[in-house]
Amino acid sequence: MRKVAIVGGGATQCGKRDASWRDLAQEAGKAMFASVNNLHQKDVDTLIVGAAQPERFIFQAHVAPMVAEYLGIVPRKVLARTELMCASGQAAIRYAWASVASGMSDVAVAFGVEKMYMPDMAEAQTNMTCVLDREWDGINGLSAPPFFAMTAQRHMLEFGTTKEQMALVSAKNHHYSTMNPIAHFQKEVRVEDVFKSPMVSPPLNLFDCSSMTDGAAGLILVPAENAKKYTDTPMYIIGTGQANIGNAVNNLASLTEWIPLKMAVNETLETAKITRDEIDIAELHDCFTISEIMEYEAFGWCEKGKGGRFIEEGGPYIGGKVAANPRGGLLGCGHPMGATAILQALDIFQQFKGEVQEGRHVKGAENAVAHNLSGAANVHSIIAYSRSPR
Amino acid sequence: MSVKFEKIKRQQMIKFPYMLDFYPLEDEKFTRTSKFFQNLKEGKLTTTKCKTCGKLLWPPRIMCPNCFSEDLEWVNLGTEGELYAFTEMKAGAPLGFVEDCPFCIGLVKIGGLLISSRIDGAKFEDLKIGDKVGLKIVELEDGRVFYRFFKG
Repeated sequence: MRKVAIVGGGATQCGKRDASWRDLAQEAGKAMFASVNNLHQKDVDTLIVGAAQPERFIFQAHVAPMVAEYLGIVPRKVLARTELMCASGQAAIRYAWASVASGMSDVAVAFGVEKMYMPDMAEAQTNMTCVLDREWDGINGLSAPPFFAMTAQRHMLEFGTTKEQMALVSAKNHHYSTMNPIAHFQKEVRVEDVFKSPMVSPPLNLFDCSSMTDGAAGLILVPAENAKKYTDTPMYIIGTGQANIGNAVNNLASLTEWIPLKMAVNETLETAKITRDEIDIAELHDCFTISEIMEYEAFGWCEKGKGGRFIEEGGPYIGGKVAANPRGGLLGCGHPMGATAILQALDIFQQFKGEVQEGRHVKGAENAVAHNLSGAANVHSIIAYSRSPR
Repeated sequence: MSVKFEKIKRQQMIKFPYMLDFYPLEDEKFTRTSKFFQNLKEGKLTTTKCKTCGKLLWPPRIMCPNCFSEDLEWVNLGTEGELYAFTEMKAGAPLGFVEDCPFCIGLVKIGGLLISSRIDGAKFEDLKIGDKVGLKIVELEDGRVFYRFFKG
């Protein structure tokens, strides 16, 4: 296996964009290629496009060759689109990484695009309700907000987690996103604002939930030994982990303990040869405030059930035990599903280079993880990144 | 030649497409587990159980994922369950459910399973964890059926 480095990347402005899926892909592609030296788009031999639901959102299948066409890429090693819902972009990075690591590909692009705003938002909600088992769970109206609402209800009952603790996650991530110019949301959200926002699915208010967002982003991956040809400051993929248990709600290992996440964390730390205390930045999948609280627990930064107290005591802020979501998270940046993991990786890349805004810069960070969950939190995917090849 | 402009007509109403319908295609032409829906029509909530290894399977199957046996039997799960978790869809419902908003959704413990369901006959404020809920069968205009639970 070859060591793999990320040498460049680019992204669109995220938000409710007056732009099509194809526009977003072109914007991100141009920004990505502008970020590297000595690389022509014809040098790219592999393209993996993370896209969760183009068939539903833009009525278009077979999108990987469309991105290739629009960006002037001529894939000749590996071309595919990855779908893993909210982790579709992370699947793209893992496939691109595996292809470069195996020696098959020499220059791979991991790309992600999602256009989620539609003229009729009930149609968009329909798309989001075929994510869980549509015939047995979706049919009951079980899309993400009610599923995570029930997760939060059980976590509050079993561990005493409070709505105030959950609101702190929203306030933290919105605070960091005010300093991220490409973030969907640019306004501070205070704890009381979360309580005042409309109730979506009790106990979750609107500001407990990440949003539908339009956005795209791409990364360029090469073998580590070639990295310095393209940039002085590459970022290395040092480990990864992924695990899945069950799909339908009945077959989840647990509602309030994400066992596949613990498995993925262990695999990541083992393959990266780092400890959880050596992680300086964690891009966590805060699709809902309760998710981030449960992720503190599964990563082992606090005890099971103490995720709420962990944020009360300052654990996940810059300067705390781990800087969680200094990008602004999904809550602050929005969640264009196929692009989210790419945006996380790109922000870590910029953190290592010191090219992020002062107030959200994690100075001296050496190692980072980016995590995505998907479905009924039954799939967890993680990549560990480092400033050095290790 | 000059550019021509023409207004063209399209069919205004499209029949609700099956692939935007949350209710599955239930009869034996479309699924090998149509027995589940036939049982529902008789007021029985059932699922498949593996006769070889004894594993209770939900959703119903044609094969046991544990031992790959196809020797499965239909077992009755009963008509009364217990609420394990619940919430209410107040906003963001998909097409076909928008008119129902707000409605309650729960996870129900029944017959050794934990299954999701609509919870009828109650507002969010009326429910609590541990509540007993009863089986309800709903029927669409085209004769397809599905289960729900109700409070009270």
